[in-house]
Amino acid sequence: MTTRNNIRINPKREQKSSTTGLKRVVLQAVKLDESVPSDKPLRTTAKATNYFLVVAHSDRGALDQHARQTIAAAAILADAKTYVLVMILGELNESLAEIGADEVMILPRLNFLQFEPDVELNAVLSVLKSVNPEHIFMPDNLIGDGDLGRRLIAHMQFSAATHVVELDAKHIASYHAGGSQLASMALPKITLLAPNAVDIELPFFSAAKIMQAPTLIQASDVYLDNGLQVMEAGDIALEEADFIVSAGNGVANLSTLETLAQALGASIGASRVVVDDGKLPRDKQIGATGKTVSASAYLAVGISGAVQHLQGIKDCRHVIAINRDSSAPMIKRADLAVIADAEDVMQALISEIAHSKRTVQ
Amino acid sequence: MMLKRIAVLVSASKHPISGAARHSHNDSLALQLALNLASKYAASVQVLHAGEADNPALQDYLALGASQIEVVSAAGNIVEKLAAQLNQLDLILTGTRAENAEDSGLLPYLLAAKLKLPIIAGALAINLPENPFRRNMLEVLQFLPKGQRRNILVSTPAIIAVHPLAPIVLHFAHARRSLGSIDVLTSKHLSYDARQWQLEAPRKPIKLKAQIKQTGHERLMDAISSKAKGGTVVNEGNSVEKAQVILRYLREHQLTKF
Ligand SMILES: Cc1cc2nc3c(=O)[nH]c(=O)nc-3n(C[C@H](O)[C@H](O)[C@H](O)COP(=O)(O)OP(=O)(O)OC[C@H]3O[C@@H](n4cnc5c(N)ncnc54)[C@H](O)[C@@H]3O)c2cc1C
Ligand SMILES: Nc1ncnc2c1ncn2[C@@H]1O[C@H](COP(=O)(O)O)[C@@H](O)[C@H]1O
Repeated sequence: MTTRNNIRINPKREQKSSTTGLKRVVLQAVKLDESVPSDKPLRTTAKATNYFLVVAHSDRGALDQHARQTIAAAAILADAKTYVLVMILGELNESLAEIGADEVMILPRLNFLQFEPDVELNAVLSVLKSVNPEHIFMPDNLIGDGDLGRRLIAHMQFSAATHVVELDAKHIASYHAGGSQLASMALPKITLLAPNAVDIELPFFSAAKIMQAPTLIQASDVYLDNGLQVMEAGDIALEEADFIVSAGNGVANLSTLETLAQALGASIGASRVVVDDGKLPRDKQIGATGKTVSASAYLAVGISGAVQHLQGIKDCRHVIAINRDSSAPMIKRADLAVIADAEDVMQALISEIAHSKRTVQ
Repeated sequence: MMLKRIAVLVSASKHPISGAARHSHNDSLALQLALNLASKYAASVQVLHAGEADNPALQDYLALGASQIEVVSAAGNIVEKLAAQLNQLDLILTGTRAENAEDSGLLPYLLAAKLKLPIIAGALAINLPENPFRRNMLEVLQFLPKGQRRNILVSTPAIIAVHPLAPIVLHFAHARRSLGSIDVLTSKHLSYDARQWQLEAPRKPIKLKAQIKQTGHERLMDAISSKAKGGTVVNEGNSVEKAQVILRYLREHQLTKF
């Protein structure tokens, strides 16, 4: 076991010279846990005689939890002769080996920010033609997959189930009649999966071989995408926010945090202590007794990371912590943690952002 | 002017606790949007339901301002039945997901495939484009997560499913319940494409998990050690350098534009 409190500093650490000739130590980033288990076996070494197809949109080069769960589901249900082929619509900058993709096709142009349902449908249809998958799995989401999946179901008249909350090799289940019934049937041709129906912890890894994607076929012009508009961070409900700067008891000066949130175009959240103290309204509270958020970026400032708080941020993709105490539980949860005084780092962030905004203009 | 005939598909719903029949809120939004568009552009509104004509839920749609509701029997394939009534329309509005049957959110898509019409889901607002060269199109504001909205132009006729959060104010007037009429349409019986569902009382779903073969020792280690991976921890440097580490991380993961 390593303890984080007494990290040895390498006396020969990397240095670089600044333009003025000053020697500077390159800021060391200490990886807490680099032991990504490579001792796991490959899921299958057999030749493919059968395919499961997963189709999902990426967001800024990465997949969200929901898409990852969908791939893992296909991998868990596949036997040794069945390959999981994953079609990613949008860019992809991460490996899908750990979540069960045997083969991966990437179609960077079919980003979900662009509305081209017919081009996407044609791309999926041409993959169907070439591999003839036994089952198709897609996340039932609002970033294009729920829509594309339904277009595919309607076009092919396949057996299908949507909003699927439970599945195994034999059946799927989803809620019917306004949630008053749980309805099951045999695993259909297409499954549109609800979030959190699958545990993505897999005992194996997969080859994630990159395959040639189909060429895109231009579609008719019945749809014309006229572009996106993004609402002001202040007008977005916290549950919908993509970037949240969140205040904990370690924030001495709330107005600094508000300035930082504004500079980042982020919404403001808080721990319960801050709300209980009356510094922010109740609807800003994140956690077990507050809101569950799913921001792409969650900047936790002076928040210890009690389980009740962490419960509310389990769906956040990138958690960044600023905390004085390197043993706070939030540091464990964070993808990036900075051990420092909150006020100092927030002030530095505000001026760095102002500086780079000036140089951009 | 291209928006002359609008149809709205309304389903019935039930109160989650009392079980009393009532309108579907989402379908009411679609109906109200149709009524708003109709009064703005002098269009007609056809309201269509597949089910029982004596369902009290339909009265709610009369109260909302439907002057007539056409009812086709739900026995058989309702996509075929509804499609048979939808002729020469410029716009067909639906909700996103029903609350009374399979609730799959598939019906608008199946209809679109059947009628060979474009479909847009998640509409928050619909307008006629100002551009005179786009007179055969509708401008749709589409809901996307994370505070994003998309503007789409779609050529008419089109099917548009209204988002449950569309900012539309419902105007119920209970006196109208007795003013409107509910008309039963006869249609030839079509056999239902029997999809076998087995129903049970709602319960917590069981999560799909991979079989993990572990030795007793591994299971013990799993139980006593925390799974949290932990990311990068930055201890060194002054606050400006630490701020730069954060900004670099945000840029690397495309979380910020500057
Ligand atoms: C039934 C129940 C439900 C609850 N529900 C919720 C909930 O929904 N949401 C919620 O948030 N909590 C909830 N709590 C409370 C939760 O257990 C914690 O008490 C709370 O989250 C702690 O808030 P905090 O991290 O802001 O404060 P603290 O625990 O006081 O932590 C402050 C942190 O800031 C750091 N810090 C201090 N000064 C500085 C500085 N100058 N610079 C940098 N860092 C600094 C400290 O190291 C510490 O880690 C619940 C508790 C119970 C019992
Ligand atoms: N029986 C029905 N009669 C008329 N419209 C319906 C019926 N069922 C569903 N719809 C419409 O289709 C939408 C989506 O329903 P569903 O695909 O069944 O979840 C609903 O919001 C309604 O607008």
